[in-house]
Amino acid sequence: MTEFLQQLINGLSLGAIYALLALGYTMVYGVLRFINFAHADVFMVGSFAGYYLGRLVPGGTLWGGLAVLAAAMIACALLGVLIERLAYRPLRGGPTLNVLITAIGVSLLLQYSGQIIFGATPRTFPQLFPVAQFHLGRVGISSNQIVVIVVAPLLIAGLQLVVFKTRMGMAMRAVSLNLKAAQLVGVNINTVISFTFALGSALAAAGGILYSMNYPSIDPLMGVMPGLKAFTAAILGGIGSLPGAALGGLILGGAETFVGGSQFSTYKDAIAFGILIVILLLRPAGLLGRWTAEKI
Amino acid sequence: MPPLLQLHQATIRFGGLTAVNTVDFAIAEGSLCGLIGPNGAGKTTVFNLITGVYAPTHGRITFAGHDLAGKKVHEVAALGIGRTFQNIRLFDRLSVFDNVRVACNRHRATGPLQTLVRLRAFRDDEAAVSRRAEELLEMFNLLRFRDTPATCLPYGEQRRLEIVRALATRPRLLLLDEPAAGMNPSEKADLVRLIRHIHREFGLTILLVEHSMRVVMGVCQTIAVLDHGMKIAEGTPAEIRQNRKVIDAYLGEEHAPLKAE
Amino acid sequence: MAEIPQSRAPNPKSDTPVPVWRLLPRQHLALALGLVAAVVISRFSGSIDAYLVDVAIGIGINVILAVSLNLVNGHTGQFSLGHAGFMSVGAYLAAACTVFAGPRLLGAAPGPLAHNLLFFGALLIGGLGAAFAGLLVGIPSLRLKGDYLALVTLGFGEIIRVIFQNVEVLGGALGFNGVPAYTDFAWAYGWGVLTIFTVSCLVNSTYGRGFIATHDNEIAAQSIGLDTTRYKTVAFAVGAFFAGVAGGLFAHLKLSIDPRGFDFTRSIEIVVMVILGGMGNTLGVILAAVLLTILPEILRPVAEYRMVLYSLLLIILMITRPQGLLNFRFGKTRL
Repeated sequence: MTEFLQQLINGLSLGAIYALLALGYTMVYGVLRFINFAHADVFMVGSFAGYYLGRLVPGGTLWGGLAVLAAAMIACALLGVLIERLAYRPLRGGPTLNVLITAIGVSLLLQYSGQIIFGATPRTFPQLFPVAQFHLGRVGISSNQIVVIVVAPLLIAGLQLVVFKTRMGMAMRAVSLNLKAAQLVGVNINTVISFTFALGSALAAAGGILYSMNYPSIDPLMGVMPGLKAFTAAILGGIGSLPGAALGGLILGGAETFVGGSQFSTYKDAIAFGILIVILLLRPAGLLGRWTAEKI
Repeated sequence: MPPLLQLHQATIRFGGLTAVNTVDFAIAEGSLCGLIGPNGAGKTTVFNLITGVYAPTHGRITFAGHDLAGKKVHEVAALGIGRTFQNIRLFDRLSVFDNVRVACNRHRATGPLQTLVRLRAFRDDEAAVSRRAEELLEMFNLLRFRDTPATCLPYGEQRRLEIVRALATRPRLLLLDEPAAGMNPSEKADLVRLIRHIHREFGLTILLVEHSMRVVMGVCQTIAVLDHGMKIAEGTPAEIRQNRKVIDAYLGEEHAPLKAE
Repeated sequence: MAEIPQSRAPNPKSDTPVPVWRLLPRQHLALALGLVAAVVISRFSGSIDAYLVDVAIGIGINVILAVSLNLVNGHTGQFSLGHAGFMSVGAYLAAACTVFAGPRLLGAAPGPLAHNLLFFGALLIGGLGAAFAGLLVGIPSLRLKGDYLALVTLGFGEIIRVIFQNVEVLGGALGFNGVPAYTDFAWAYGWGVLTIFTVSCLVNSTYGRGFIATHDNEIAAQSIGLDTTRYKTVAFAVGAFFAGVAGGLFAHLKLSIDPRGFDFTRSIEIVVMVILGGMGNTLGVILAAVLLTILPEILRPVAEYRMVLYSLLLIILMITRPQGLLNFRFGKTRL
C-alpha cells in the first residue's frame, strides 16, 4: 500500500509534466493539423533557460523560482512564435507530410544547435525552489514534486480560462473547427496561430523546468523521449481535446511509473508506445476525442 | 427473370438521422433507371449502400443473386458494379491511359509475381490490357490525351474519363452519380447521347443519380424519386412528371406541373 | 462526342520480328548488367582507397533503404516512420545467423563459396524476418491514415529497439559484437540493383499501378475492384523485406550493432531521402540517397556544425522545393 501511494505520487508529478507538454501538441494539432515535432525541443530550451536564468536569482527561494519559471516561459513563447513564423508559415496549406518533415528539421536544428551552444555533456540543474522532504507515514514527497503538483494544474486551469473565456480563445476554437470559415468571418488566423504557438511553447518551457527539477541532469537531447511520450498522451486523450491531453498525460505518467517500479522496469520506455499502438488501433479518436469520417 | 439489383427495405441511420428509410427498389437487367430527389434526399447514400461504402442498418441488398451484406467495396466492384463519383475522383498522379489501365486489373490473367518474372504470358497480358485501354479511350475520344496526367484534363473530359474508367472494369451495372453536375446545356445534351450510347453498345444496366431533369427525363426508362430518405414515387418519366408527391417535394407550395428545365 | 472507331488498332507486336537481345525483358537485361557490374567493380575495390569503398558501400545500403521505403511512402502513400525498426530486425537476425549458426554450418575449413552462401542465407532470413514484422505491424494498422499510421510505425520501431536492448543473447544495450565482415561492394550493390529492379518492376505494370491508385484516391481504387488493404500490405512487406536485407548488410559492414543505431532518427533520415528525391520518383530517390550519404562525409571537417547544417538544409529545402529537390518531369504534356 505504501509502495502504491509512493508510486502514485511519483506518477502524478511525472504525469502532470507530460500533461503540460501534451497540451502544446494538441493545441497546435487542433489549429494546424500537424505534429509539431519541435515542441519537445522547446521543452529542452525551456529547461536550459531555467538553468542559465537560475544563476541570476538567489537559489532555493520561492520568488526566485517563480521568476525564473515566468522568464523561461516568456522566452520560449517568443521562440515558439519565431519557429512558426520562419519555418511553418511558408508551408501553410501544403501537404502535411512536408510540414511534418520541416518540424523534424526544426527539431534537429534545435538539438544540434543546443549541442554547440550548451555542449553535449549533461549538466546538473540548479535548485530553484526551496528544498525539503516531507513524510506522510512511510510515503515520501519532495518539495519539488509539490511544486509540480501545484504549478502544473494552475497552468492548465489558466489555459482553460484563456481558451474558453477570452476572445482570443474563442478565435482559437473557431480556427480549430474550420480554418477557412474562421478566416471568412474575420478571424486573423496569423495572430491566432502565433498566439497558439506562444501558449504551447510557454507551457513546454514550464514543463521543461518542472521536469528538470525532478530529473536534474539536462542535455540538448533530453526532450526527445518526454516529447514522444507527451505526444502519445495527447493521442491517448484524443488529439485536439485539452482535457484529453491532461488526462492522457496523467494516465501515461502513472503507467510509466508503475512499470518502472516493477520487475519490467527496463521496458519502461516501451510502455508509452505500447499504449499508443493499442489506442490507435482500438479507438483512434482517443479517450475524449471525436472521429470524423470522410465524405464520399 | 429476377431483377439484377434489388434493395429490400434498405435503411441506414447516422446517429439520429435516418438518411435512407426502408427503400424498396429493383432494377431489371438491361434497363436504364434514374434516381432523383431534392438535395439531401439520400441519393448518393443509396449509391454508397449499394457499393458497400456503408453497410445498411436494416434491410438487404442483392445483386445478381449475391447478397451484398458484409461485402467490401472492392468485392462489390468485383461482382460487376462500376461507379462514378459526384465529386470527381480520378487518380491524379496517373496518366489518362493509366487511369483506365489500372481499372483493367480485375481481368488480368497473370498474378503479381509475374511482374518480376515477366514471362511471355505476362507480356501478352500487359499488351492485351493496353490495347483494351486504348480502344476504350479512342471510343470516347480521349486517346489524344493518352499520356496527360488526369488532373490536367478539362472538366468535361475528366467526367468522361471517370465513366471510361468504370467501364474498363466491365461492369454489369453502372452507377453514375450526377454526371451532369457543372455542365452547360450543350454539354448536357452530349452527355445524354453518351449515356444512351453506352447503354446500347455495352449492353449494360445503368442507374443514374441526377439533379438535372433534362438529363433524367431524356434518358431514363424508369425513374424512382427519393425525398427525406423515403421513396415517394416510381414510374416512367411521363408518370413522374404528373405525380403530385413529386411536384410537392420539388416545388413545395407551387403546384405547377414539372417541365424539363 | 464518342464515335465508334472504324478499325481496331492493330497489335504492334504481332508481326515485327523480335531481336535476339529482346528475348529478355528490358528490366531483366538491366538487372543482369547491374549485377555483373557490381561484381566486376568489386574485384577492383582492393586498389581503391578503403575509406572511399566504405562510403560507397554506405551509399549502396542507403539506396536499398530509400528505394524500398519509396514503395511504401512514395508510391503507396503510406507514411511509415518505422523503416529503421525493420532494418534492425534484419540486422539482428542476419547477424545472429552468421555468428551463432555460421561456425557450426561451415565446419573447420570453409571455402569462400560456403561463406557467401551462408551470408546470402542470413540476409534472406533477415529480410524475411523483417517482412514478417512488417506484416505484423501492417495488417492491424493499415486502416489508419497519414499522421496516425506514422505514429504507430514510429511506436513500433521504438518498441523493437527497447526489446533488443533487453535481449542479453544479442548483446542487450551494449550492442552485438563480433559480426563477421562479409559485406563488400558486390553484396551492397548487388542487392541495391535487385531492390531497384523489384520496386520498378512491381510498379511499372498494370498490377503495380494499383499502388499509385491506392495513394491517389483510396475509395476510387476500391470502386474499380482493387483490394487497397492488400496493396498496402504488399508494399509494407516488400519494403520491410529490403529494409531487413539492408540491416543485414549494415551489420556485416560495421561488425557491431547497437539498438540505438536504429532509432527513429535513422528512420527520419530515410524518409528525408524519399521526400527529397520526390515521392514516388525512383531515380530522384536514388540520387537523394547518394547525396545524403555523401553530404555528411563532405561536412566532416566542420564536424560539430554538420548536423546543424543538415537540419537547416532540410528546412530550407522543404520550404523552397516541397515537391522534392530532384523531382523533374520529362516529356509530360501539361495543359
